[in-house]
Amino acid sequence: MNVECRDLERILRDEEPEELKALAAHAETCAACREELELWNEISVAARGMQRRWESPLLWPSIRRALQQEAQAPRRAGWLGRIWPGWAATTASWQMAVAALVLVALSGVSVVLLRETEPTVPTGASLEQIQKREQQRLLTEQALREIESAEAEYMGKIDRLAQLAGPKLEQSNSALMASYREKLVVLDAAIAEIRANVEQNRFNAYLRNELLSVYQEKQRTLQAVMSEAEQR
Amino acid sequence: MKSIAYNLLGNTTDAEDAVQETFLKVFRNIAGFKGDSSFSTWVTRILINNCYDLRRRRMRRPEMTELEEGPGMDGMELPRASGTDHPLRMMLERSMARLGERNRTVFLLFEIEGLSHAEIAATLGISEASSKNTLFQAKRELRRMLGESRKAGAV
Repeated sequence: MNVECRDLERILRDEEPEELKALAAHAETCAACREELELWNEISVAARGMQRRWESPLLWPSIRRALQQEAQAPRRAGWLGRIWPGWAATTASWQMAVAALVLVALSGVSVVLLRETEPTVPTGASLEQIQKREQQRLLTEQALREIESAEAEYMGKIDRLAQLAGPKLEQSNSALMASYREKLVVLDAAIAEIRANVEQNRFNAYLRNELLSVYQEKQRTLQAVMSEAEQR
Repeated sequence: MKSIAYNLLGNTTDAEDAVQETFLKVFRNIAGFKGDSSFSTWVTRILINNCYDLRRRRMRRPEMTELEEGPGMDGMELPRASGTDHPLRMMLERSMARLGERNRTVFLLFEIEGLSHAEIAATLGISEASSKNTLFQAKRELRRMLGESRKAGAV
C-alpha cells in the first residue's frame, strides 16, 4: 500500500489497521510524518495512565442509605400528594409543620379508636375473654405464616426457573444474554439485601412488597432469557 | 465508574456524588432496562448524563467552576492515576478540560477507559463512524494544544 504525507489525517481518522501499518512504514522515511505520528501515539500512551483509583470507604454505605431513604420517600409523598395535590409545591419547613400536625391528629384519633376497638382483658376477665384475645394474636401470626409459605412457594418456582435458564445464559455468547446475566446479578444482590432486612423484621409489609416486586422482575427477566434461547 | 466521573468532573466529591446518583437511577429504573444495549453500557450512559447535569449545575455556581489544580483542595487526597506523573500527562489533563463536552467524553471513553468505538457508539447514541471522527477531532485539538505548549517550553 502506497501512503503519502497527505494521507496522514485520513488514516489517523479512519484507524484502519492495514493503513496504519503502511503509515508507520512511510513515517520511517519521512521526518515530518514521523514527528506527527509519535506525538499522536504519545497522547494515547499518556492517556492510558489517566485512569483514576482511590479508596471510598464511605461511598457504598452512603449509597445504601440513600437507597433505603429513596425506598421509603415516594410512599410518604404519594400518600400526602394524593389527598393534597399542592403538597409537593410547599416548602420543606411547611411540609415538616403539616406532617407534625397530621401526626398529632392521627395519634389522637388512634388513641380514641384503639380504646373503642381493642379487645381489653380487664382484671378478673373470664377464661372465654382471655381465649378470644389469644386467638386474635395467633391469627396475626397464622396470617404471616401463610404469607411466608406462599412467598416461599413462589420464590422456589422462580429459583427453579433460574436453574433452567442458567445453562442457556452460560452457553450463549450473545450481547443480549450478557446483559441479562448482568441484570440478574444486580437483581440477586437486591434480593439478598431485602431478604436480610426482612429477616430482621418479619412483619414489615413494605419490605415484603419490595422483595416481591424484585422477584417479579427476576421472573420477567428469566422468561425473556428462555424465550430468547428458544428463538435461537 | 469513579474514574469516568472524575475525569469528567475534575474532583472526587462531585465524582462520588455522580456515582451515587447513578446507583439510585439504576435501581429506580431497573425494570426499564430491556436489554437493548449491554447492562454496563446502560449504566455508563446514566453516569455520563449525570456528570453532564452535575457539571451544568456547578457551572451555574461560579465559585465551584475551577477544577482541582492542586492536592487537598477539598480536604481529600487526590486520586492516584495509574500512570506516572510525567509532564505530558499533566499537560494532557489540563488540555482535556478545555475540550468540548462530546470530544472530551469520546476521548475519555476510548483512550483512558479503553472502550471500543462500538461501545462508545451504544453509550452515547451515535454511530461508530461519528465516534471515530469525534476521537480524531479531540486528538487533533489536544495535539495542537500540546504543540503550542512544547513551543512555549512547558512540556
